[in-house]
Amino acid sequence: MDKKERKETRQTKDTLDMSLFKWRIEADGLELLVQGFKEKKVLGRKCHKCGTVYVPGPSYCRKCLIDIQDVVEVSKKGKIACYTVGLADVRGNPVEEISVSVQVKFDGSDSWMLGNLEIDDWKKVYVGMPAELVLREETNGTLADIVCFRPV
Amino acid sequence: MRNVAIISVGYNDRFVAKRPDVNIPEMIQPAVANALKKTKMKHSDIGVVVEGNMPTFEGINYPHLWFSDHIGAAGKPVLRISTGGTTGMSVFHGGYYCVASGMFDVAMVIGWEKHDEGDAQVGLMGIVLPEAFSLFQFGPDMSGGRGGGMGLLGGGGSTGGASFQALSYLAKAKGTPEHIDKMAAQARANAAKNPYAHLQHPNCTAADIAKTPMVSYPLRYGHTCPASCGACVMLLVAEEKVKKFADTDRVAWVKAVATASSDGTTGNLVDGQITDPAEQAICEKIAAPKAYKLAGIQNPKKEIQMCEVYDGFAHQELMWPEKLHLVDNSCKAIDEGRLAIDGEMPVNPSGGVVSTNAIGASAMVRVAEASLQVMGLAEGGHQVPRRVKNAVAHGWGGLFQFVTITILGDEPVKR
Amino acid sequence: MDRKVAIVGYKQTKYSEQNENPRERMTYELVKSLFQDLKITRDDVDTFIISCSDFQDGRTISECYMIPWIGAYMKDVSKVDSDSANAVLYAMMRILSGNYNTALVVSWAMGGSEFRSPRVMEYELDPIYERPGRLINEITAAALQAQAYMAKSKLTEEQLASIAVKNLRNGARNSLALRKKANATEKDVLASRALSLPLRELHAYTPADGACVMLLASEEKAKELTKNPVWIKGVGFCQDTYYLGERDLVKMDSLQKAAKAAYKMAGITDPARKIGVAELSTTYVSQEPIFAEAMGLIPKNSGPAAASKGWMEIEGKIPVNPSGGPQAANPLTVGGLIRIAEASSQLRGEAGEHQVKKAPKLALAHGQIGMAAQHNVVFVLGN
Repeated sequence: MDKKERKETRQTKDTLDMSLFKWRIEADGLELLVQGFKEKKVLGRKCHKCGTVYVPGPSYCRKCLIDIQDVVEVSKKGKIACYTVGLADVRGNPVEEISVSVQVKFDGSDSWMLGNLEIDDWKKVYVGMPAELVLREETNGTLADIVCFRPV
Repeated sequence: MRNVAIISVGYNDRFVAKRPDVNIPEMIQPAVANALKKTKMKHSDIGVVVEGNMPTFEGINYPHLWFSDHIGAAGKPVLRISTGGTTGMSVFHGGYYCVASGMFDVAMVIGWEKHDEGDAQVGLMGIVLPEAFSLFQFGPDMSGGRGGGMGLLGGGGSTGGASFQALSYLAKAKGTPEHIDKMAAQARANAAKNPYAHLQHPNCTAADIAKTPMVSYPLRYGHTCPASCGACVMLLVAEEKVKKFADTDRVAWVKAVATASSDGTTGNLVDGQITDPAEQAICEKIAAPKAYKLAGIQNPKKEIQMCEVYDGFAHQELMWPEKLHLVDNSCKAIDEGRLAIDGEMPVNPSGGVVSTNAIGASAMVRVAEASLQVMGLAEGGHQVPRRVKNAVAHGWGGLFQFVTITILGDEPVKR
Repeated sequence: MDRKVAIVGYKQTKYSEQNENPRERMTYELVKSLFQDLKITRDDVDTFIISCSDFQDGRTISECYMIPWIGAYMKDVSKVDSDSANAVLYAMMRILSGNYNTALVVSWAMGGSEFRSPRVMEYELDPIYERPGRLINEITAAALQAQAYMAKSKLTEEQLASIAVKNLRNGARNSLALRKKANATEKDVLASRALSLPLRELHAYTPADGACVMLLASEEKAKELTKNPVWIKGVGFCQDTYYLGERDLVKMDSLQKAAKAAYKMAGITDPARKIGVAELSTTYVSQEPIFAEAMGLIPKNSGPAAASKGWMEIEGKIPVNPSGGPQAANPLTVGGLIRIAEASSQLRGEAGEHQVKKAPKLALAHGQIGMAAQHNVVFVLGN
């Protein structure tokens, strides 16, 4: 079927006004995470029933459907479970600065944490590569405390 | 348990990037007319209309209320179902249950999307918008650069989630980005044999795809789907009424439907991500075994002759047949030509979603295309040469967390 | 129908202008609480049917982050994008097919705290003619409908106000209601802010935060789970044509058809006598006599008589909205499911202070969406 020549008809426009909405989200996991940064720790929650360790750690377990409170510290070191490299934008134009996004599974955690990896050559990255979370020298208890991930 | 058959498929026209000449009702109406034309049915025989799309893309809430008349739904029972990317097949399942429940004898299902009316990128951002906003409460570093928690939002732009899935899949299957190039090339070449497909590239080769820029490793621009405009309509009929309404001896029987969902396997910024997007246990371990059991299929590799899987990104065309127990390793299979239209396990002879993506329609088009194969009615050269006794159609959606499966056959399951 | 489907349990949140929790935890607590009541776990639920709206939650695929919170992690889930009564209908069809034995219907909306309803509902309008025209919205559509009915039946403003009074007083007998006024009078209603005459604020629904969950089961499973199943005897649904000028807003064709189909399935020929209580999704009180007539509960043009003689009061001959209806609380998309829950609780004798005394055997529940209720779903329930 060939592409047909289509005459444009009249148009009307509208916008989806996002100011109509005010969202609230329970972000217990992020709250715990940034609190942990004050002491340079990575904190999550563990389900006392199934043992799953969540980082960030919401205060409920999705497998058991129960409230969970046990706070656990996981290592800042882990392995790269997955990664991708941003080389161009969605239209195909190359980006100015190449970024390597990684999902790291900290030792002791069942969750993947998303972040950027600082590395000189992205071709060196592989699944299973050891990496560690780098926090600022002075932490304030915010997400800005995260500097990056670095290969170990 | 009632047997239900698909007796006809209607598309409005070829799927294209823009339809500046019609509004939404005008776009969908020809698909309804085309589906009805191929039957002995009158419009008044339709018992229920089940419809769906992703409403935020065109900025219309409950659009089925507006085009009530254009689709002949005024005065009829109407049900609207919407489940993200799997919408098309969830709508199909809705229509299936309307008939299988015994409440109706004839259902018309409609899946559609008009992407030129709205911005797909913005619509997709809307999935994570509130979660992304909540991050701001925790003080990410807004100055740009590598760190500071903004990496939590990143991930190589919008292809991010899919890229993680692609990479994780390649690592598991021991494949390379070149395998994805091959799969995308096959898809675009297949699409050229489907008069209704959007991106048609006759004789497309892996080298053609490899010329496109790498966007978010391992995905290239040429691995991603377009945003299409179009509608797909199907008519489902109860077993007792097939002879009365079908205009063909070969109809496509619905042998089984199944669905399963998990937590988000990408973008789970606030609640923690424990599921690998390339694992898809919801398909491999839950929905697919359930569907095969309901359909009475013990050995899918031997008993299924083709499949239509939802491949918004070309690597998914490699991944899903494995999760559906149809192929052991798709990277090896594509190297050996086994996934081609004339191969051992044809995958997406229609060109798949990577060639045509009107989101609300896409998962339904997988069922529609599989049913055309069973009925021997695929046009333009994309009918697989072997007689199709059983076919699998599949859809995924959400944050890589929903899966829907439909199994079709050339005869009903004996109940 | 070979198989029968029953409602075995349900739970509602207390409705409020802002729930103490965000939608995730609000719904999670409700689901857990129902599981506890029924002594089941999420393993006992074969399928989940969600009813929520992208336009009300302000997010694309509004259910995707909710899946784990409602217990549906690794489970069979689908979503209906319409009034939640449609979700009950779909869940019922899944069970009737024989593929499932239990289905959990889950619906939530933060209509009080997270979005402004009439403006959000304007996205339902045809984007070409009605939306830019800015004349039609859910309030003006209902007002046109009210005006048409008042002209036809000679219902007075006082009588219209008395329907609102009934619902405000009923709300005071419903511990979950948001808007309640035990000593409400017609004066209060007629003094409330005008929205689009004849409709005023106290004639209209009260937007609220809230959720409702309901478990449906096949006959065999229902008998295991509860001593008081509420049987779905009949259901009908129908959609009208879109443009208001092409509809008879008083006759309500789609509602008539839906009710007829529901009665036929339930084997009812005389609804006015057989139906013991009705919970209707009347977003504006003017719709009470209109819908009641369309469903054959009261004679044509008898709205004035019904109002002045109190037919639709809790103690009346055909109680309508003993819970206070959407005027007591309406988290929008959850509406239909709440009506079904309330009707079921009447049949079970569990409605507490707003219980209809005459122990109903059959109840009517109704859900709708669209301007002036373009799409309607009617359930006939029995015990």
